[in-house]
Amino acid sequence: MSGSKPDILWSPHHPDRYVICDSELGLYRIGPVGGTETKPGTLPLSEETAATLLAINSDTPYMKCVAWYPKHEPECLLAVGQANGRVVLTSLGQSHNSTCKELVGKEFVPKHARQCNTLAWNPVDNNLLAAGLDKHRADFSVLIWDISSKFAPETSVAAEKIRISTVDLDSSMVVTKPLYELGQNDACLSLCWLFRDPKLLLAGMHRNLAIFDLRNTSQKMFVNTKAIQGVTVDPHFHDRVASFFEGQVAIWDLRKFEKPVLTLTEQSKPLTKVAWCPTRTGLLATLTRDSNVIRLYDMQHTPTPIGDETEPTIIERSVQPCESQIGSFAWHPSSQNRMVVVSATNRVMTDFTVFERISLAWSSTTSLMWACGRHLYDCAEDSAEGAESTVEKDIATKMRERAQSRYGHDTLQVWRNHLLAGGNDPQLKSLWYDLSYILYVSHMKQCAEDMELKLQGNKQSLVYSGIKNIIRTSSGTTESRRCWIGSDRQTDVPRFSSEERCLALRLCGWISRGPDIDVETFLRSLEQEREWERAAAIALFNLDIRRAIQILNKGATMEKGDLNLNVVAMALSGYTDEKSSLWREMCSSLRLQLKNPYLCIMFAFLTSEPGAYDGVLYESSVAVRDRVAFACMFLSDAQLPHYIDKLTNEMKEAGNLEGILLTGLTKDGVDLMESFVDRTGDVQTASFCTLKGSPGEVLKDPRVQCWIENYRNLLDAWRFWHKRAEFDILRGKLDPSSKPLAQVFVSCNFCGKSISYSCSAMPHQGRGFSQYGVSGSPTKSKVTSCPGCRKPLPRCALCLMNMGTPVSSCSGPGKSDEKVDLTRENKLSQFNNWFTWCHNCRHGGHAGHMLSWFRDHTECPVSACTCKCMQLDTTGNLVPADSS
Amino acid sequence: MELHILEHSLKVASIEKEGIQICTHGLMKLAFLASKTRCKFFSLTETPEDYTIIVDEEGFKELPQSDLISVADATWLALNVVSGGGNASSSQPIGVTKIAKSVIAPLADHNISVFMLSTYQTDFILVRERDLPMVMHTLSSEFTLLRVVNGETVAAHDLGVTNGFVKPKLVPRPIIHPLSSPSNMFCVTSLDPDTLPSVATLLMDVMFYSGGSKELGTSSEDSSHIRFFSFSLIEGYISLVMDEQTAQRFPNNVLFTSASGELWKMVRIGGQPLGFDECGIVAQISEPLATADIPAYYISTFKFDHALVRERLTAVGCLEKTSKHGSVV
Repeated sequence: MSGSKPDILWSPHHPDRYVICDSELGLYRIGPVGGTETKPGTLPLSEETAATLLAINSDTPYMKCVAWYPKHEPECLLAVGQANGRVVLTSLGQSHNSTCKELVGKEFVPKHARQCNTLAWNPVDNNLLAAGLDKHRADFSVLIWDISSKFAPETSVAAEKIRISTVDLDSSMVVTKPLYELGQNDACLSLCWLFRDPKLLLAGMHRNLAIFDLRNTSQKMFVNTKAIQGVTVDPHFHDRVASFFEGQVAIWDLRKFEKPVLTLTEQSKPLTKVAWCPTRTGLLATLTRDSNVIRLYDMQHTPTPIGDETEPTIIERSVQPCESQIGSFAWHPSSQNRMVVVSATNRVMTDFTVFERISLAWSSTTSLMWACGRHLYDCAEDSAEGAESTVEKDIATKMRERAQSRYGHDTLQVWRNHLLAGGNDPQLKSLWYDLSYILYVSHMKQCAEDMELKLQGNKQSLVYSGIKNIIRTSSGTTESRRCWIGSDRQTDVPRFSSEERCLALRLCGWISRGPDIDVETFLRSLEQEREWERAAAIALFNLDIRRAIQILNKGATMEKGDLNLNVVAMALSGYTDEKSSLWREMCSSLRLQLKNPYLCIMFAFLTSEPGAYDGVLYESSVAVRDRVAFACMFLSDAQLPHYIDKLTNEMKEAGNLEGILLTGLTKDGVDLMESFVDRTGDVQTASFCTLKGSPGEVLKDPRVQCWIENYRNLLDAWRFWHKRAEFDILRGKLDPSSKPLAQVFVSCNFCGKSISYSCSAMPHQGRGFSQYGVSGSPTKSKVTSCPGCRKPLPRCALCLMNMGTPVSSCSGPGKSDEKVDLTRENKLSQFNNWFTWCHNCRHGGHAGHMLSWFRDHTECPVSACTCKCMQLDTTGNLVPADSS
Repeated sequence: MELHILEHSLKVASIEKEGIQICTHGLMKLAFLASKTRCKFFSLTETPEDYTIIVDEEGFKELPQSDLISVADATWLALNVVSGGGNASSSQPIGVTKIAKSVIAPLADHNISVFMLSTYQTDFILVRERDLPMVMHTLSSEFTLLRVVNGETVAAHDLGVTNGFVKPKLVPRPIIHPLSSPSNMFCVTSLDPDTLPSVATLLMDVMFYSGGSKELGTSSEDSSHIRFFSFSLIEGYISLVMDEQTAQRFPNNVLFTSASGELWKMVRIGGQPLGFDECGIVAQISEPLATADIPAYYISTFKFDHALVRERLTAVGCLEKTSKHGSVV
């Protein structure tokens, strides 16, 4: 502190005052900038705060250390330790208090002059001031002065042995007899009183840390160490002490004082100050020489579920409060994580608040929580159900909602699953319709009712393999030119048809059955759904302009209909196939301005040359199924596979589920699904649709298994255990290979066989007994005994009844009375009657009894067993989130 | 009581008066720029005959090799007595007096040569490294022996040397070397290491330029004045021994002494250079002083020994009683 090394002390009572001590003492008041900006002589400390110099004291030369009197009155009394070992009481600012006058100027003089290294006021008995001095031969280095003492130098002490002179001082102000003298023949570098008992003083001596007890000064507890500088007790944990040596900080636990509990990583430069944060537990700030950063160590104990104390985790980080090199710092006594920093030179001060580390946690249900300082923030997804919700919901939320609405579980009307998913995702709609058509068509084939569709066995799986593969096998395509319906004008548009193309059209949903392309049913359904433009376009592609116009008219005249449709109908009616007509010219240019893609492609179709329908085929806002159906009708065998391939690749790349129509649920489909999952993370849709519509081969794909497992994990994480069970059941139905074999069974203590009926053959002895007419039916197994050996099963620790549940349907000889019995027993085999036992202490009983026991107890119900069974089960205390 | 065996391996050297110029660079570095070296133990004592240097091996590297520097061939270890416990007796005798009977006499009885260095803070007893087993054996009955290793104090184990001990001769020890007492008075003092830079030029002047014209003038004035100055910087602590006149050249409040001044009389031991092998010299002086409870400092140099005593008349009288030569000059 002498000249070059400043220090800061906060007032023990005024949270806005502090003292800077370098060559002199300066008292400052800290306040908001606004309030003090008009006054001259204020120093800005930060954007919001400034300091005002209240008083200066330069009476005391050779200051080595300063300590602020902890009592309220007199409020600004400081003890200053000097280079020659004297301790002087001085004050800052005016105080007319009589006690203050009595005390200010008082000097406490050691027998032999040497540097005073440290001072510490007793936190309880405020009259006691401990001073730590350098070594001087056999003299004491820790002197505890009583500042209320009025003794003049004691004459009884042999005068020649006192190496000081008192000639020049008012003798009443000089105290030479300390209350306690400790640490003989040693040096004291640092001191602090222990909070756990005000009679205990911890001192960093020359080569050891010592705890002196004022009640018995001849005894001391000590530990040899080099880390003896800057001892300081953690204000939040009174047994924890930090001290340092050169660049290394040692943390001690006074209860286990033999060695440091931990040492912090060594820094290259020697430390100058180490201080516990008074407002935050376990936060230690350290400063090294010639540095512009303060290093913070966050020491927290993280309890493990078992409850054993583990090594503290230390998070180390640095903060830079200001540009210049830091001379010293001091934590604010009450403002959270706030400190004032003074530069090494020029007394530049900075008010600085350490930003608290943020810890962040996602819940499994998309809400996000983070803690900063003493604040806890919860960030939940906006659950406003407004249709105009600007931000799309997170996929996890969507999946969760869909899981709750049993999405994927409608196996009869497969297309309805898109409604369960919310019904507003066109891709999901397309996907579920695709699956629905695929399953419908394959079902038709399986039933073999429809002879026209009865294909060869090898074509059976073709339905699953998508239009891409169906088209590839196409043969016997016939080309036909047909008239516009309702007119005798011959079109020059060739139309192609074959069995496969017809199948494709069915998969596209345009036609339902029969070799003839009859789209009327489809058009009606579209009209019902008010998809006028689409219906009109499809009617037109089926060469029925009249129907198209009719649909448009209908659309325009309906309630809330778009009157523009009439205009479009008018334009349509003017169709002419004359190549150079004005109609053709205007339509081909103006059609691009139409907003609706279907209206747009209608004119594209009418103005195209035959076979060159790029305007229709590459209109990406038109549903894939319509484009594919169009292609199946109007592209030749040469053009069609090329187009389908191109479109398939496009869909695969984009992860667009509409492409499933093309790929089917083949390996290609899984590729497409992969890029869909990569894009959206929707493993739920991926799991359901691969399960639903796939032949076995595809299900074995590791990607598919991965989606399914992840979806199951998600359900578990949401505690949707019932949903997960339902999913597993569905999965077992659709993919029998996924059913796990029983790997664990309960075995009888006596015979070692499984106690479940299905696993054991019926006992033979029983038959023997019946021969001798033993009363009762020997073959009728009691549920409470082992079906193998008939010995009783273990008893429930609570009700002391023998346990037993009919876990599976009895494969008994099939007597009718037994079956009646079974139904009765089935009622008993609820979860409450299940076997449960603790894997640790091996005690157990009926599940229901155990559950109710552990609702009120922590220990095992078996007397003298102290096992905390339920606590060992980390998931045992969770409840499912989907009570179904 | 505890006896600490410090970890410094020390060399004792003598620099001829005319050789001081070639060493000033190294000595200044050791004295004033300690942070630039790894030296932890450095002492420089000027006597009319020479400069005696006690320095650890790290510090020794700072000194040049020269014919003008003679080095005692042994490596020395410093011992330090720590009276542990906080028993309240407030008037402990100062300096070698305290350890005369417990350390110095037993070592003399076992023919172990010692080299003493008293400082403001403590007394160091230097023994040859090769004598350490014997030293430990001799003192283990009286002291808890502790060894400093890498700055940490650990219990030292008796090295188990049991053979070849000379049975101690418990005979009276008369003072065999002639004594003399110069007329100037000395103070033993210290200063705050932080203020060292502010008095560095003065200290340099005192250390290295004492042979200047001014000094010649004073010595001709009073022939019994002796030139004696000692500076030591040991483990961060500074100790100074200088005469009254030199002390007055320092600014007020820098030295850890007060105006009343506590001055000490010097007794020089030896007519011929004492060498390093003779045992019992310190004991001869310190024992009678201890018997009379007279505080004393003791500083050995390359050629002679120096005791500093407070009460001159009593002390000298006390020493004269046991001296072979009778009166102290």
